[in-house]
Amino acid sequence: MVESTAIARPQRWDRPFGPDMTDVDVEEVLEQPLFRDIDPGQFPDSLPLREIIRNDTRVRHFAPGDVIVREGDYGNSMFVIIRGRVRVVTDGVDDAELGRRVRKRPRTLFQALKQLWANDDQPEVRDISTYFHGTRNLDLRGEADDARMYLEDVEAFLRQHETVPLDDGAPFGEIAALARSPRTATAVAETATDVVELRWQGLRDIRRRDAGFREHIDGLYRERSLAQHLREAPLFAHLDDGVIEEIARHTSFETHGAFEWFRDFKKVKGDDPSAVLRQEPVVAGQDHYLDGLIMIRSGFARISERLDQGERTTGYAAQNDVFGLEEIVRHVRHGEPLTFRRSLRAIGSLDILRVPTTLVERHVLPNVPAALLPDSDADADAEAPAWLEQCTDLGLPQSLVDFFVDERTINGRATMLIDTDRCTACDDCVRACAAAHNNNPRFKRHGAIHDGVQVTNACMHCADPVCLIGCPTGAIHRHESGAVIIDDATCIGCATCANACPYDNISMVEIRDSAGEFIVDQQTQQPIVKATKCDLCYEQLGGPACERACPHDALVRIDMHDHRALAAWVNRK
Amino acid sequence: MTTFVARRLRNGSAALLAVLAIGAGVYLYHLALRDTSFLTGWLLVAAFVTLAAYNARKKLPFIPLARSASWLQLHAWLGLVTVAVFLMHAGLTWPTGVLDTLLWLLFVGLLASGIFGLLISRLAPRALTGHGERILFERIPGFRAELAREVEELATASVRELGSGTIASYYSRRLRPFFARPRHLLRHLAGSAAPVRRLQRELRALHRYLSDDGRATVDEIEDRVVAKDNLDFQYAWQGLLKGWLFTHIPLTYAAGIVTVVHIVFVYAFASSSP
Repeated sequence: MVESTAIARPQRWDRPFGPDMTDVDVEEVLEQPLFRDIDPGQFPDSLPLREIIRNDTRVRHFAPGDVIVREGDYGNSMFVIIRGRVRVVTDGVDDAELGRRVRKRPRTLFQALKQLWANDDQPEVRDISTYFHGTRNLDLRGEADDARMYLEDVEAFLRQHETVPLDDGAPFGEIAALARSPRTATAVAETATDVVELRWQGLRDIRRRDAGFREHIDGLYRERSLAQHLREAPLFAHLDDGVIEEIARHTSFETHGAFEWFRDFKKVKGDDPSAVLRQEPVVAGQDHYLDGLIMIRSGFARISERLDQGERTTGYAAQNDVFGLEEIVRHVRHGEPLTFRRSLRAIGSLDILRVPTTLVERHVLPNVPAALLPDSDADADAEAPAWLEQCTDLGLPQSLVDFFVDERTINGRATMLIDTDRCTACDDCVRACAAAHNNNPRFKRHGAIHDGVQVTNACMHCADPVCLIGCPTGAIHRHESGAVIIDDATCIGCATCANACPYDNISMVEIRDSAGEFIVDQQTQQPIVKATKCDLCYEQLGGPACERACPHDALVRIDMHDHRALAAWVNRK
Repeated sequence: MTTFVARRLRNGSAALLAVLAIGAGVYLYHLALRDTSFLTGWLLVAAFVTLAAYNARKKLPFIPLARSASWLQLHAWLGLVTVAVFLMHAGLTWPTGVLDTLLWLLFVGLLASGIFGLLISRLAPRALTGHGERILFERIPGFRAELAREVEELATASVRELGSGTIASYYSRRLRPFFARPRHLLRHLAGSAAPVRRLQRELRALHRYLSDDGRATVDEIEDRVVAKDNLDFQYAWQGLLKGWLFTHIPLTYAAGIVTVVHIVFVYAFASSSP
């Protein structure tokens, strides 16, 4: 018998957030107002409060002018000021002020034409004179995870903006950490400032166990964001403010799944479907009592129903989708049991709002436009699939739906799909991409193929862009056009984004000068590397060059959440 | 989204209407006792320029000049309309002069290569998808070399470790040439799997002479033979997909040059015509 390789079982805190946390640091954190009143007795021996603080927090020291968080960054942590003063900018910060040299508008026709003769012959050529060092009120200090941008003249910056000061003990950044949403404001250290940064896992564990902490954090969320989130949903948009406030007071906010789902997913990608399914915790079980309408705040969910010994995927849901509405409508109109007809499973990190059924019955159903309600007159049993090979809810082949969900392709807002029954491998798409990116193709015409559909290795500009988490300089961010782009000037080549991308769609490249020589680090003489990926041709006229260049209608950039467009594309044969 | 069938019907109808309209126009021109060859000739030139502009569009992917797929539709259907205009211009008779014959041959060559390209562009992708893993054309030589190296190692190891020369002998006679370069390309294009089946039969026939380990080695080799056969299949079809343009595009340039000469001659001698 072959002897297995034995290793120590991976533990929750194998990778502490701040590896240098001392007992003194832990004590200091626990003395902060936000943590002071937490009762350690509520925490089990396996998860003591002190260890959460030791492993899920880190103390960071910022000098005057250091940018602590940037507006638009993806949040995975919150902060509490230990000492010092932080200024939160309330009137918005321009990309250029944060060092990003990103084009706001597409090129002009002449600039577009100029690419005909101005593109470089060598790969990955950069004009380093466009990099920000020494040219702006902004520079970079620190390395890797600790790298941060800093404002050389913080006084001048603060004079130009409206800001709110935060002092000792004040928390900030909790909304983005809790809701996995982009930071809503930029925070800058005005003086030398020490902050404790609590990562998402610790926030979740403390919030789960300590009622006071939970009420405080949730109170902030309710006060600042929940009502707005409800207003954004079509189902609630027509309600007046008083009703929204009442619903917000009774709505619970829940998080399911793993925040860093992409790490676990990489391990089981392409594996047995049941292994993939095991990573998806059930949020609402089929035939369970429907206590509230579920609205997806962020992340993704698989909708499935039991079939023999397995689960058949009937659809998927994303931000602002609701689950359980049809059952509530049927209950009200036909007296059917108030139970979920299908299961909802968290794919990756899922945040939901659970609106009590009674409130939906009382306020939403009587007022909502009929077009937003499901057709409850149809016989529920008659909607059961007639054929196993077809997913009737989405109008797609069942195996293709399973493939899209299992591979997490549904994350894409501009997924590149290629119909291999039409693709002649002419590579016009690759050439067009290269022509639009200084002769550097930004995707590989390669990828998993299922049912004649290839999910190509091109950035999908995900709805949940995990690549954004942890970028130390904010170089990778979502452009106002919706594309996830990398600002080359502020990218420090740490590869955090490339390692996080579950789809391997970000490449690290060594950059060169126009003569083709590598641009090297002054100290180490090693080549400078930068992250590169598809930018959806956000600065080109007419949109993605790849899609426009395909002569055979084989290639499409598609929002996977647009079920109708997806079905129309797949079924056009 | 328009289905392909609906698009084909729409574009086909438009092309038919265009042919009828041009035909009617040329007929009316003829009724007016005008020389229709100038009208149809310039119509052909206009069509030719539009058809050739598709290649220019491909060189400008960053300019919003409509999608390439729309251009290809225009290219294909306008190409068919051009056939009708060409027949109105040249008639059904064999041309007389050298230049006209050359132009006629170039036009027929363009038409034939265009239709051939369109056909294989529609047929080859399905064939490639239905025949094992799709592989990037540029990577095929590398994969082939890798398979060849693995099979050679298996064959030589069989001599060293099994003390048998049967596999090595078969390898040097039959498999080394098979792995050395792309094989049976025409057979692949014709849809025949006979060559690989023959190799598989021959390999399985070796089983009776080998030990269990030897049979396992032969099975491993057979897997690689099948993989190499798929590479050849991909190479044949993808090569054809890439190669046909090397006929169509040079013919376009040649036809363009000869057309210019034709026009110059026509106008040079037009004054002497009755």
